[in-house]
Amino acid sequence: MSSGSVLLQVLINGVLFGSLYGLAAIGLSIIFGTMRIIFLAQGTMIVFFAYVCYWLAVKAGIDPYISLVIVTPIAFVVGMGLFYALFRRAAALEDRNVSLLLAVGLLWLVENLMLQFWTANARFVSDAVADFNIRTHGINISGGKLIALVIAILAALIVTLWLKRTRVGTAVRAASEDMESTTLMGINSLWVSAVAFAVGLGLAGVAGVSMASVYAFDPGYGFTFSIKALVALSLGGIGNVFGALAGGLILGLLENLAAYYIGAGWIQVVAYAIFILVLIFLPQGLFGRRGVVKKV
Amino acid sequence: MASSRGEGIYMDLINRLVRNLAGWGRRRLIYAALSVVALVFFATIPLWLDVDESYFGYYFFIVCIYVICAQAWNLLAGYTGQISLAGNAFFGLGAFTMALLWWYDVTKTMYYFDPLLMFLAGVAPVILAIIIGIPLLSRLRGDYFSFGTLGVALMIEALFLNGGSFTRGAEGIYLESSRFVSLTNYYWLALGLAAAATLAVYLLVNGRIGLALKAIREDEVSAASHGINVLKYKLIAFMISAFMAGVAGSVFGYYKFHVEPDGFFNLNWLFYPILMVVLGGTGTIFGPWIGAFFVGALFAYGDIYFGGYHPVFSGVLIILVMLFMPAGIVGLGEKLSFGRVRSFLVRRTE
Amino acid sequence: MASQLLEVKDLSVAYGDVRALWDVSLEVKEGEIVALVGSNGAGKTTLLKTISGLIHPLKGQIVFAQEDLGKQNPKHRVDRGIVMVPEGRRLFQTLTVRENLRMGAYLPKARASFDASLERVYDLFPILKERANGKAGLLSGGEQQMLAIGRAVMAGPRLVMIDEASLGLSPILTRNIFDLIVALNEQGTTVLLVEQNVNMALKVCHRAYVMKTGRIVMSGTGQELATNDEVRKAYIGSRGSTAARGKGGRAQ
Repeated sequence: MSSGSVLLQVLINGVLFGSLYGLAAIGLSIIFGTMRIIFLAQGTMIVFFAYVCYWLAVKAGIDPYISLVIVTPIAFVVGMGLFYALFRRAAALEDRNVSLLLAVGLLWLVENLMLQFWTANARFVSDAVADFNIRTHGINISGGKLIALVIAILAALIVTLWLKRTRVGTAVRAASEDMESTTLMGINSLWVSAVAFAVGLGLAGVAGVSMASVYAFDPGYGFTFSIKALVALSLGGIGNVFGALAGGLILGLLENLAAYYIGAGWIQVVAYAIFILVLIFLPQGLFGRRGVVKKV
Repeated sequence: MASSRGEGIYMDLINRLVRNLAGWGRRRLIYAALSVVALVFFATIPLWLDVDESYFGYYFFIVCIYVICAQAWNLLAGYTGQISLAGNAFFGLGAFTMALLWWYDVTKTMYYFDPLLMFLAGVAPVILAIIIGIPLLSRLRGDYFSFGTLGVALMIEALFLNGGSFTRGAEGIYLESSRFVSLTNYYWLALGLAAAATLAVYLLVNGRIGLALKAIREDEVSAASHGINVLKYKLIAFMISAFMAGVAGSVFGYYKFHVEPDGFFNLNWLFYPILMVVLGGTGTIFGPWIGAFFVGALFAYGDIYFGGYHPVFSGVLIILVMLFMPAGIVGLGEKLSFGRVRSFLVRRTE
Repeated sequence: MASQLLEVKDLSVAYGDVRALWDVSLEVKEGEIVALVGSNGAGKTTLLKTISGLIHPLKGQIVFAQEDLGKQNPKHRVDRGIVMVPEGRRLFQTLTVRENLRMGAYLPKARASFDASLERVYDLFPILKERANGKAGLLSGGEQQMLAIGRAVMAGPRLVMIDEASLGLSPILTRNIFDLIVALNEQGTTVLLVEQNVNMALKVCHRAYVMKTGRIVMSGTGQELATNDEVRKAYIGSRGSTAARGKGGRAQ
């Protein structure tokens, strides 16, 4: 295998894995738009839904791609519930520190619950449909990972259409830009935030199912994943769904490159270094709307 | 001649102290007196309780370590308004500095409970604080700053994991555990350092620096326009916070005799101090202590009775606190009748 | 005799410990243009925000169409027919002109008459029809102000409260906007106008109130106040043209 095709393989695998980062980043972006906090528990919730998918497969024999249709609405409802249970008052008071700490508490709670109930053993769901490989030009593309990428792109498309074409989506876009003005139109700001949050968690559900069938996961992975999603979002920039997705793909690509050329242990170092550099030198990301996010 | 001059200075100091104290209101005197009483009480416990046998010794030791970290975070978050998420990095860096100096026999001193080592363990995080503080504090605000610190903390941990034979990767550094004599030494050292940290924060906050910090917390732009060098003061607070966390790390390293990334860069050292400060009351002097006692109990004793579930309770706890008393226990005290009783008393006596 | 649409009674508002409004009372009759003038920090915006429901008052009442608004949220008030055009426009810059207008007609009642309202807005502000699919952020200052007012009109309001319509606009554009506000009023919409440009405000209004440090210090018809010496000295200055004719009159 020529070194060119090895490099290509590395790049492709990176992009494929990055689709998960991208999905997570889109969710973060939407939640950030209305609540103005980075929902640090996103990764943990993704792992949670991965477990749900896993148990649906193991106990009820439901194929992951079918459980996508089940898990996503459940995730949405869970999101609504969590918002009204936890974040309602903090959102009404616009107290961002409280919201942030609530997210951290939720992260802690869910991660440790999962640890207790489902142990720290890594899980993985195998799927018959995804069990194919595409071999071309000396590179090997795993079927499941390719499907994950397709799912991510589809999700981004659906979310974008929702934001641009529907009344509620437009309201979310308006609220993400100026919450007070939105309130002046008579729109219930709490409800808009709840919808955005629920959509964010719905995306976590999609990401969870995607992850479950392709990569091994365990409860502790959640936090790292949240941070990677944040890095991806910083790269992509806030305010642009496909930008967030692209940020994820780029991050995956860079991580894989680092793993190949420097060593697997250095993936994290590279990822966080990218993060810090982007924060300092390119805070609006590669594709973000300029001047929208005020450094409050 | 010499003795009378010595006496003169002595009397001078006492006079100044008395005048200072007289300038304090009733409330401050009461708090000061209570603090001294509490300090003496806890300091003398090992004289009648076998600290090595009883679990309380370990519990209190852990509480004090956490108090140091908590006050460090409190200084930044409560008084300066900057939420730093790098506390665990400074803690671990301090521990590793101590361990590496000892392991590589660098300073040729006594190493165990070595003041020089502990001091250097505080200095290393300060250097890191300066290196990352200048770019982060000058260019990033609010959330961006917080996540910048988080990124740095995670990167530091990753670097140590990859430190190869120098830092011994994931396995870490083993120290001479044979040096251990009694938990009592740890108890007193931790108590002393925790008290010192509290005092340091108190003096800082009530001095000129504290004034500047508070101004910055309230309105940065306004503070800057009044001539306050915002970056300098933020950096000072950041450095002091790093120093305290580093020293705490070194003491814990002395306890464990085994310094490795997972235990010392662990997010627990970030999360629990924050929980303690938030529970006790951010921006207060005693809040971290109250929070530390409470959460420490949850942590230390919960581990015995509830096994692996106690982190779950911590998660629930921070959620409940944020939902129902975001101002912490001290904040609650202000709101409830305690506050009214106190202000009633104060009004009577002034 | 025109009926009373809005009545504010002894309204007191504070931001934490800082008092912003002290026992403010005013009324707006149906069909009027009422101006609220005063310098910066007088509390005009605070008053509008309280009427809109963004801020809760310490004391006092706000009665709209015989209904005591009490602690009702902004949604309720918009539904009843009170809409505010905030200071600085506060448009949704990344949304198109049409989407901004759509946001204005979000509530069910407004949605039902969406087409009619859109017609009305395009009639009043033809330029908006031209730029319907362009991003709001790309409009000029004057066009943005028109869009802001148009957005409020989409809600089918009985009372439109406009905060600093002239902000950042040249004199010609200012006059343009005020002409349009008068046109809007002639269609039957009551207007409460907050303005620092006292000159123009007094010309177009029927009645006006003067605010200073959170209190109403003077009131009267536009004409009365325009010719009042104190007002002239404090707000209009020697250069200001105060020739007010009839019901507030409009300088050509």
